[in-house]
Amino acid sequence: MGELELLHGYLIIGALLFGIGLVGFLARRNMIVMFLAAEMMLQGISVSLVAWGRFHNDWGGQMLVIFILTVAACEAAIALALVLMLFHSSGRLDVAVWQHLRESNQLPFVDQELPEAEVEEPVWPELTPAGVEPEHSLDEVVHRGHV
Amino acid sequence: MIPDLTPTQILTLTATVLTAVSLWLLLPRGGGRFARPIGVVLGLVALGLFVSRLSGLTNLGLGAEGLGAKIVFWVLAAITVVSAAGAVTMRSPVYCAIWFAMTLLGTAGLFLFQGAQFLGVATIVVYAGAILVTFLFVLMLAQSEGHAYYDRVSWEGLTSAAVGAVMIGVLTMVISDALAPTVPVDKADQAAAGEVVAKTAVVDPSTEEARAAEILSPQHMDHLGAQLFSKHLIAVEVAGTLLLVALVGAVAIAIQGKQMPKTAGGARHG
Repeated sequence: MGELELLHGYLIIGALLFGIGLVGFLARRNMIVMFLAAEMMLQGISVSLVAWGRFHNDWGGQMLVIFILTVAACEAAIALALVLMLFHSSGRLDVAVWQHLRESNQLPFVDQELPEAEVEEPVWPELTPAGVEPEHSLDEVVHRGHV
Repeated sequence: MIPDLTPTQILTLTATVLTAVSLWLLLPRGGGRFARPIGVVLGLVALGLFVSRLSGLTNLGLGAEGLGAKIVFWVLAAITVVSAAGAVTMRSPVYCAIWFAMTLLGTAGLFLFQGAQFLGVATIVVYAGAILVTFLFVLMLAQSEGHAYYDRVSWEGLTSAAVGAVMIGVLTMVISDALAPTVPVDKADQAAAGEVVAKTAVVDPSTEEARAAEILSPQHMDHLGAQLFSKHLIAVEVAGTLLLVALVGAVAIAIQGKQMPKTAGGARHG
């Protein structure tokens, strides 16, 4: 695999990671998922930097990624402390709760319609019966459905 | 019709549009039952189109060794990008975190593939080991049951997906155009390509080889540490200070948050 092909592939992957992270940061409403998407954008940059460092035979790329890791760790610590504090004061992780921080000439965002929660069928493990199958009490069957 | 479009530009344009549509279909919203499978298929097609611009895939005229390296690279790349899309589009935040862990593993593999051994391990230890676990802890503290309503909707799904896809498309086009002249397509271009390569290699070839041997040497950690603690010593000190400040700041914010009275009706459903 040629050096140039390698660089090309890595830069494309970096661009894809950055773009997908951008979509996640813009579209998602859960604050924790937004931070995950921001970290993903940092990953895209790191991939590109390491590829450039290899291409130019320079340690600078890897050095910068080490410091990106450091800053990402700091960012995660502070961001999660902030998210926890916001959660304690509002009760939810939704960023739309904090929309009163917007510009004064912007219209408030109102949820038009919320999609229904998808009810998932619970999957129970299938065990091979050992011995005679006991009689099921109706209470137990009904109760297990709510576990 | 727009007249002057080369086939590669049309390809990139198609891939961009497909990426936008597939991300829009994948993002959480009140959609039909078939939105997500269609989104997955369209996303894979778009990914294939982006990949087809890479010259490395098409000229497989290498030995078995080169082929093996290529397969490893493509598997790692596929894991990274597919799980990145999963991390962004999953409804449950816990699944998002787990898909993001897969992305990190793929990225760590890509770093190892480039010879950046320390970064590969550090990504797993710091990101997957520390940051991601902290994310999951906060999720457990904050969201105890089920999916919340704000995980089932997204802000302006189509606009966000279009912005991201245009970003990817522009970056891909710029990168490919910038690197294209140095990739010899046919024999007529090879002379020109040679010139460009000669231009990019400003440094003396002998020192270049020596440095290449250095960055891929078995004593990777030796060289990395020597660079880090000689050339970048001040940056290391600053980074250490930053970590300390962040630690103190996080503790201060958390304590202050605890003392605050609970406003907003105290509705604590997840």
